[in-house]
Amino acid sequence: MNFLAPSAFFLGLLLPVIVAFYLLKRRRTEQPISSVYLWQRMVRDVEANAPWQRLRFNWLMILQLLTLLALIFALARPFSWTEGSSGQAAIFIVDTSASMAATDVAPNRLESARQRARQLIADLPDSARVTIINAGMEAQVKVSSSLDRRQANQALAEMQITPTAADLTTALQIASAIAARQPGTDIFVLSDGREKLPTHLVVKGRLRYIPFGLSGDNQSVSLVSLQPAADGTQTAFVQVSNYSQTYVTRRLLLYADGQLINSFDLKDIPTGGQRGVSMEGLPASVHQVEARLDGADALPLDDHALTVQQQAQKITIRLVGGNNVFLNTALSLMPGIDLIAEEPPSLPATALTPLPAGTPTTQPTPTAALTNDSTPALTIYDATLPDTLPKQGSLLLIAPPGSTSLFNLNSVTLVKAPTPRALDASDPLLNHVVLSNISVLDAVDISLPDWATSVIGGDLPDGRSVPLLFRGEVNGQRVAVLAFDLHHSDLPLNVAFPLLWSNLTDWLMPGARQGLPAQVAPGGALTFAAPAVSPTEKRASSATIVRPDGSSIQVQAENGQFLFNDTTQLGLYQVRYTGGAVADFAVNLLSAQESDLLPADSLAGVESQEAGATSGQLGQREWWRILALLALGLLMGEWLVYQRAALARFRDFLRVRLPQRMSGLRKGLK
Amino acid sequence: MTSAPLFPENFLRRLEGLTLAARRAMNGQTQGERRSPRRGQSVEFADFRPYSHGDDFRRIDWNAYARLERFFIKLFVEEEDLTVHFLLDASRSMDWGEPNKLQYARQVTGALGYVALSGLDRVTVNAFGADQVLPAVRGKRQALTLFDFLQKVTAPTVESAAPDPTRWITAYAAAHTRPGLLVLLSDLMNDGWMDGLRLLAARGFEVNILHILAPQEIFPQWNGDLKLIDLEDGAGVDITADYDLLARYQQNVSGWQAEWRQFCAARGMGYVPVQTTLPLDELLFAWMQRQGVLR
Repeated sequence: MNFLAPSAFFLGLLLPVIVAFYLLKRRRTEQPISSVYLWQRMVRDVEANAPWQRLRFNWLMILQLLTLLALIFALARPFSWTEGSSGQAAIFIVDTSASMAATDVAPNRLESARQRARQLIADLPDSARVTIINAGMEAQVKVSSSLDRRQANQALAEMQITPTAADLTTALQIASAIAARQPGTDIFVLSDGREKLPTHLVVKGRLRYIPFGLSGDNQSVSLVSLQPAADGTQTAFVQVSNYSQTYVTRRLLLYADGQLINSFDLKDIPTGGQRGVSMEGLPASVHQVEARLDGADALPLDDHALTVQQQAQKITIRLVGGNNVFLNTALSLMPGIDLIAEEPPSLPATALTPLPAGTPTTQPTPTAALTNDSTPALTIYDATLPDTLPKQGSLLLIAPPGSTSLFNLNSVTLVKAPTPRALDASDPLLNHVVLSNISVLDAVDISLPDWATSVIGGDLPDGRSVPLLFRGEVNGQRVAVLAFDLHHSDLPLNVAFPLLWSNLTDWLMPGARQGLPAQVAPGGALTFAAPAVSPTEKRASSATIVRPDGSSIQVQAENGQFLFNDTTQLGLYQVRYTGGAVADFAVNLLSAQESDLLPADSLAGVESQEAGATSGQLGQREWWRILALLALGLLMGEWLVYQRAALARFRDFLRVRLPQRMSGLRKGLK
Repeated sequence: MTSAPLFPENFLRRLEGLTLAARRAMNGQTQGERRSPRRGQSVEFADFRPYSHGDDFRRIDWNAYARLERFFIKLFVEEEDLTVHFLLDASRSMDWGEPNKLQYARQVTGALGYVALSGLDRVTVNAFGADQVLPAVRGKRQALTLFDFLQKVTAPTVESAAPDPTRWITAYAAAHTRPGLLVLLSDLMNDGWMDGLRLLAARGFEVNILHILAPQEIFPQWNGDLKLIDLEDGAGVDITADYDLLARYQQNVSGWQAEWRQFCAARGMGYVPVQTTLPLDELLFAWMQRQGVLR
């Protein structure tokens, strides 16, 4: 036993003082009574009139001495050495990834980590500040440099498993940043070490990794899919992986739309190996397939997975000026496109330049398919312009014949023979696109507006440069302008065209070609197009997404796209669009990193700048609170002993007199 | 001393229905209403004895002669009066407590004395410690004399050593050769009472003891360091009143009362421990009847 303030033992001099009080003859109050006859027969306290008397056993004195002793020891602040922290600050990084739900340590790894963190916090010096970082899908600082232990314990209690990998790297970087401004900081990483870490990471402060977990005895459903077959039926495929150190045999149960349709005994799955099963000939009406491993292993989270039918999602593209064979070909090759072709409208009054050769001059005749209510994901004006540009959906303007509200032409005449040049090779529109072999006959001379970024510039023979392709966002609307007519360039004949077209449409319609996926990883963001609502062909503007636990959330479409990123629950999510359409998707763990449970011995690649890292750090556990509580208990005991007579009278009153009075009261009432 | 009446008038009327119970017949001085060991003129048959010369032949039982052809004389119980001796402890220790022990003893003496006078018994009262004596009086008319005497009985006002009960009782027994019913009303806070009572019992007195204690003497509620001062002689005892001591004191009081009960039972004496909080009517009409002192 060691003491932080041994000088408190000088207070032990008070002990003889208490004893002296009991030795001193006390001044007594005179009490006349009828006779001392009875008292003389039994009294014990008769003494001579000396100032001192013989010391007798007295419970009050004993309790007072014990109380003082407990207080003196508490003030001396006794402590014992522990494996905790003795620094001025401690940062606890608690891994809440899916693998921490493993039950190889009871009740699970996260609960064990939580208990260990509580114990470490309790052992900290009172002046040590505590930071709690929850390393889940994202690293979150739950408590920042706080002296409030209750707050720290509360934050620990609120931590829950997230069925994703843990962002330990960010958590360590945050901890390092905090430790940099707090010297003497201990960083405790409570994890199973199954997370991805950079190859080299230097952390400030003393780092200590406390691993949790005993074994990697786990198998998981690592893949599940439902694919249409050529004959109109469907085929389900399921893969099971074994992460334990021995060969195992597991039974796989396969459900279709909630009904058990088959079971497979997967015998002797090798260590680190997989075993796959497929089931062909499932009717086209089967919408959902679920695979479930029978029996138990260390991590139940990855023992089941499900998928649904892939849903086709069509998007609408409006093409005005429909005689461009290159455009028509490119659009027709895109899957899931609902193309609405229109004749160009009459030239606007602001048109300053004649149309390029080959531009159709027929009057506009809007197709019946396009109603005022429809909102195309993309509207393409090929060598034509409307009176007013649409405000909904993205815009692609090709060889605009005049100025618009978005840009102005520099000149009414076309610039001749601009040489295309990539202005920013890293621009997503130029991904894999090579412009060296491209020639352009002429182009519209457009002044680059403020909102736009020039992607392809055209170098003119006179040394000037004009934008040939620029893009940007105006009021949430994505706009791209191609300054030259495709018929006046060899771009459509070049391999760069399909690449540029793909990049262009991807940027203009992000995720538009993607329907709702059948399954996604937990925590991942999901972008999907709003489906058309029959019969008006109007797109759904909002949707309600029902999570696996039954809770729901409302999401709004922006530019015909829904963005949803709250996929932290495993299971089936249902999407209910306005207008009545319903779709669903599944969120499955399917993570080899999380299913492989064998705890790591160390955090590979992570180094600590300060000495003492990863070794058994000595901390101090103080005992003064227990002693102070003991002193309080002794003080209460002393009071009770002192008040025994009053307590006995009170007890007699409750047992005898009160019932008598109640009985008398009852008789009086009768 | 108090000049207020000892009892209300209606309480006295209720007392007239009671009788002091003597466990055995005793000789009286004049005709009364109590059975005497002598044979006399009452209507209550007592026994037969053979006729002898000189007997009044009017008492021959002729029915017995018809059956047995021998003469038998019928004997009847003689009814005489009884002297009831009240020994009232009026020492300073009795003038204490709430309710006051001496006042309580005066009331009990008055009530029992009135019962005795109503039953044509003689009543005499001796106040121990105060040297006050009421000579034997008889008849209900003397009740006022009794009450007047009792109201004049007071404890000594001057602090002095407690008198010796043995000596006082010895003198009393010598002065009263004709035994009778004797009622001692005292707190018995002295060592000499037992010897004196033993002498009285040997002289043929039928002794009843009313052991009167104040509630403060049975359940003292003190705390802390005290010096207890004796009211009689001023002697002091230092105590530290705590739970243990008070619990032991109560045990001591219970043991002391048990000792007295045992002493009385062994000698055919009546023993009634009384707290001054016990209402007088409850003592007389319930408590003492159960103890066989009154009926």
